[in-house]
Amino acid sequence: MEYLATIGVLIAIYIILSSSYDLVIGYGGLSTVAHPIFFAIGAYTAGLLAIHSGLPAVCNVILGGLAAMLASVLLAASSLRVSGDYLLIASLGFQLGLLQLIKNLDFTGGPGGLTAIPGTVTGAARTPFFLIVSGLLAVATVWGIRALVNGPYGRAITAMRDEELAFTALGRDATSMKIVIFAIGCGIAGVAGGVYAYYFQYISPDQFEVLQSAAILTMVVLGGMGTTFGPVVGAVLLLAIPQAITFLSLPPSIMAPTQGIIFTVLVLLFLFLRPAGIVGLSRKTL
Amino acid sequence: MLDPVILAQILWTGIATSAPYVLMTVGFALTLKVTGLWNFAHAGLMAIAFYTMYFVLDFCDLPVVAALPAALIVTGAASLAIEIFGLQVLRDRGSGNLTFFIFTLILSELIIYVITLLFGTEPETLFKSILSPVTIVANIAVSDWDELAVAVAASGLVLLYAFLTWSREGQFLNAVADNARLAELYGISAKRAWRVVSIISAVFIVASMYLIGTHGGVVPNSPLELIITAVIGTLLGGIGRVFAAAGAAVFLGLLQSFSILVIDSRWQNLLLYGVLFITILMFPRGVRLPPVRLLWAAR
Amino acid sequence: MTAVLRVEDLCKRFGGIVVSDQINLTVDRGEILGLIGPNGAGKTSLFNLISGVLRPDSGSIYLNGVAIDAAALYRRARLGIARTWQNMLLFRTMTVLDNLLIAPRSYPGESILRVAFARGTVRDAERLAHERAMTTLARMGLEHTANDMVVDLPFGQQKLIGLARTLMNDGPVLLLDEPMAGVEGAAYETMQRVVREEAASGRAICVVEHNVSFIRDLCSRAVFMANGRILQDGTVEELIASAALTELYFGV
Repeated sequence: MEYLATIGVLIAIYIILSSSYDLVIGYGGLSTVAHPIFFAIGAYTAGLLAIHSGLPAVCNVILGGLAAMLASVLLAASSLRVSGDYLLIASLGFQLGLLQLIKNLDFTGGPGGLTAIPGTVTGAARTPFFLIVSGLLAVATVWGIRALVNGPYGRAITAMRDEELAFTALGRDATSMKIVIFAIGCGIAGVAGGVYAYYFQYISPDQFEVLQSAAILTMVVLGGMGTTFGPVVGAVLLLAIPQAITFLSLPPSIMAPTQGIIFTVLVLLFLFLRPAGIVGLSRKTL
Repeated sequence: MLDPVILAQILWTGIATSAPYVLMTVGFALTLKVTGLWNFAHAGLMAIAFYTMYFVLDFCDLPVVAALPAALIVTGAASLAIEIFGLQVLRDRGSGNLTFFIFTLILSELIIYVITLLFGTEPETLFKSILSPVTIVANIAVSDWDELAVAVAASGLVLLYAFLTWSREGQFLNAVADNARLAELYGISAKRAWRVVSIISAVFIVASMYLIGTHGGVVPNSPLELIITAVIGTLLGGIGRVFAAAGAAVFLGLLQSFSILVIDSRWQNLLLYGVLFITILMFPRGVRLPPVRLLWAAR
Repeated sequence: MTAVLRVEDLCKRFGGIVVSDQINLTVDRGEILGLIGPNGAGKTSLFNLISGVLRPDSGSIYLNGVAIDAAALYRRARLGIARTWQNMLLFRTMTVLDNLLIAPRSYPGESILRVAFARGTVRDAERLAHERAMTTLARMGLEHTANDMVVDLPFGQQKLIGLARTLMNDGPVLLLDEPMAGVEGAAYETMQRVVREEAASGRAICVVEHNVSFIRDLCSRAVFMANGRILQDGTVEELIASAALTELYFGV
């Protein structure tokens, strides 16, 4: 029961991560691989605040989201100033650099990670509580993003992606818009990080490696970029597949790379054979 | 601390240590120049190169003369296959930057996962020992590895320069780098140029991985970190300027070497990423969106 | 200074190529200025300089007396410089109506804060934009295409939609880059009529065109450019009558 509940929380968190990532790359058209690091910023901020400050949990999670948002604005503002391509490289460097910093600092727990994050709800109510909280957040994320992209804002985002020059010549500040979208997406990832930290009460740098980007990317590419439910489908798939593999009872040293191989092969297959993803419309090409 | 002999030693060792990075960066920068792509598949190719040599040397117990050609053939074939069956297909579909990036990065990760499965995550070196005989030249310790590294890097640069400047094939590469569509109008095949460059970069990758693999331990994930240096060098040198990128790689190597004097070694990587950021923030000049990609990819 | 748009000593070069060499011109309220000359003369580059796609090497650009050459592209559009593109650059995955709805200069619906906290304002602005879009489409006789995907329309209609989209910017200046290229028949007549209406309502319009009869019908004044320089300006009749220009234009 506990095990299934954990899966449930993970699915919810993955849905939040993949939907927010889809907002950034699918709708916003921004090339970035730094999503895991904003997840990490949220997790570490919330975790550290939980350990060292007396603030309530909700506060810490929100601060985690804000910290992620602030970091993302700094990243986007400095790299978009140069060009859209730069964001790709800058996000890679940011992801790696910040993770390296976390591994080397003592107060973040170093490579061993941050342990003993204080619990919130204890006892029998804990699991259902986290399930409900993460579930609600997932629903809110998917619904919120959908609302955002269906109104005039979504129209603007689509136009920006279609023809940025014409879009700008109509009086829109494309760079500002990109930064805002990036900030929203990364802020949401930060909030997910906070919830993650509180649920597992232990976070370590290797949970947020660049290869995590592959996982989130897989969810979005498989599910369908630029769709509401694509990331949801992708998130569920990505958690279902490893579960299926676990039944094979392979040793961990084989399991991890095998999972990786399955994911990457799936992404490549979809990239070439069905770029629109499972949910996407066939007229979309990548 | 400012003993000139120590400084000279650090200078020499820094240059030697940067040699494999120079080779790696040049391959990466050349690919960027001619194809307009930040080709992260190079990380996967680096892994292929190293582990092919490792397999031949340690599993098959064959000498270096077998390992190197084997690596060249396998890596070259892989690089060519990626170009023909991956990149060209995406180009024909008019794919955007993000798609190319996803493809090359995910492919590298796939390769690295497969290699992890096959070889495990223990650090491996190509030879049992990475200690290399040392001679003292003017009070400076010069190892055989150092000499080999500098020789290979220097000759690689010279050969590439000669090739690009004087050979017809090399001039075609330049033409395609400038403007692929225009080059095609003059009868130069862009596809051929891209395939040639994929083979050249494979050669540079094998050379650099040989040097790296004989100097320290390599794990399957290493290429992902190594490629960052190639990226930074390419950025610093300026997109399209391959030899400037080589110079930048030397600069980065020396920076890391000399920084030992002032900072803890565990901050070395961070220093590298710091440089990446400073490059992005303060040296955008030399960054022109390569027109090749815009014309060719966004059809 | 009745000139709405004034360009003073504008210069721009790319490496060895001079695209603008001491360009001086003015466009008044209600005037339609024609910009003619052979290909590669620098006409589109001039539009790019005025609208903000390119930064000049030297010189100034004044909109209603205020210097705008330091303003970014999007800011100039907000100040009222509207333009069309040779390649139309319509938003491919959107409908005709959406292409227009996104175009007005003021757009509260695109600020996240306003969407969240000022829903009333957003709704009103949407409604207003909707009305204006339909009116603009009606002027061109294209109301029935509102919900079609813009890429499904025939070429001539697409060009009209491009113009309609630009007209949603109700600013004082209109730059039309080869609006007639590839357009004939009814679409041609419509475009001519709409441009005249815009001038009559007070816009300062500058048109780049190769179609000489269009220029002759619409423009009171014209300017002849070649190799980045203005060789002659005056009435259209004067320019057409000039033998030297004709040779330059047609003798290439």
